[in-house]
Amino acid sequence: MKSTSELTDFYYRELHPALKELEAQRTEILSRLKLYGGMGVVSLALLCIWMGKHLGLFHPLFFAGVVGSVALGGIVFRAMTHGYAKSFKEHIITPLIQAIDPHLLYNPHFMVSRHLFERSGLFQHSIDRYQGNDYVKGSINGVGIEFSDIHAEYETRDSKGRSQWHTLFRGLFLVAEFNKHFKSKTVVLPDHAEKTFGSLIGGWLQSKNFSRDDLIRLDDPEFEQHFVVYGSDPIEARYILTHSMMKRILAFQKKLSHPLFSSFAPNHIHVAIGTEKDLFEPAIFTSLLDYKQAMEYVMTLRNTIGLIEELKLNEKLWSKS
Amino acid sequence: MQIVLILLAVLALIAVLMYNSLIGKKNQVENIFAGVDAVLKKRFDLIPNLVASVERYMEHEKATLEKVTDLRSQAMKPGISDEQKIALDSKLTAALGSITVAMEAYPDLKANENVMHLQRSLHEVEEQISAARRAYNQAVTDLNNAIEMFPTNLMAGWMGLSRRAVFEITVTERQNVDVNELFKR
Repeated sequence: MKSTSELTDFYYRELHPALKELEAQRTEILSRLKLYGGMGVVSLALLCIWMGKHLGLFHPLFFAGVVGSVALGGIVFRAMTHGYAKSFKEHIITPLIQAIDPHLLYNPHFMVSRHLFERSGLFQHSIDRYQGNDYVKGSINGVGIEFSDIHAEYETRDSKGRSQWHTLFRGLFLVAEFNKHFKSKTVVLPDHAEKTFGSLIGGWLQSKNFSRDDLIRLDDPEFEQHFVVYGSDPIEARYILTHSMMKRILAFQKKLSHPLFSSFAPNHIHVAIGTEKDLFEPAIFTSLLDYKQAMEYVMTLRNTIGLIEELKLNEKLWSKS
Repeated sequence: MQIVLILLAVLALIAVLMYNSLIGKKNQVENIFAGVDAVLKKRFDLIPNLVASVERYMEHEKATLEKVTDLRSQAMKPGISDEQKIALDSKLTAALGSITVAMEAYPDLKANENVMHLQRSLHEVEEQISAARRAYNQAVTDLNNAIEMFPTNLMAGWMGLSRRAVFEITVTERQNVDVNELFKR
């Protein structure tokens, strides 16, 4: 698998013609956005002044007008960038993924199945809306892997019957084959309680979580500080989370600036990274040739697929070879 | 009068909670030791196959192989105590470890697919035993903490609970296998 520097070279060299074309598209869209945006703001301001004068400032129609124009703005934005985004995924992301490994399949419209997401046991709330895109599937170093963007939400209704949507998870969700046999389920979550309240009270609070399996306290203090582990079998949990595996997971978390959730359910590892945004969406307001922007695409892909090497999932030292 | 009754009720409740928590911790230790036992048994089951497969090739390791077989039969005797099991486990780990290291010096063995598969299975079992030991040590530490810390130590003393030993590697086994010795042939 190519290294980050090789991929960056690939991005700037092989993809340069496509990038230039897309850059041209982008600047055009940006200038049009500025134009329409400017016009929209001016007309909205005029509308507000007119409505304020004739209907009073807190008339419901006023709010409807504001909300309506924001929604209209969103629709217009999406329509203008749609072709550009599609082109970006086809001409930049697809070759980039192929460059990492020619056997990887990429489909911008698919997502990891809801069944797998629920099976991971990472997020226990029921899901009312499940969306995703940018699906990658393949086998790296003999380890089967699939991942995509996922946005899972649930709905709550308040006493007046109005519904509100809450995000359960938004970010990258990945499933890969794990190289050891095990039967139980183990879940590793970011540790908020111990970080806030310290290990004594935090630990006590965590052990009282009735919706989860038993709390498992592991023997690596730094790991315990960052993560809380629940599992149905304390021996299997430690079989999976050896000292070296714990160190690797910790190192991976430190590389990311987002919360890392992982779980182990029979023979697979599930990883969720809460990036709170869609990955692989083309930049509108920064140049595609901008180094930081380029690195974001390259690094995201490389880190995600490189998880297999990071966690040494390709080591075949056990009977599951 | 009422305050005294309420106080007594609260104390009784606390006593019950402490008693139950100690019992829970003691049972957890037993539970996990059963898991340790199960995984130790897996290792015992692998050993005859392993010894039979390698003894033809590893003529210089006869002594260690005999030691492994002997330790295994000792460990499988019915009715041995938990402490003895723990002691035998560490001896067996050390002996098997030196065989695995010695296997590196026999290219015939490394070409044998059967033996390699056995080695992987053995590695898997050793890791599972390691995990079981860690789980047991955690459970024992929890119990020992409860037995020694205030206020549960009062209840523990009354219940007659005693500290348990954790899985430790003894000093002799902690000495690394002398690689130079292996090459002096």
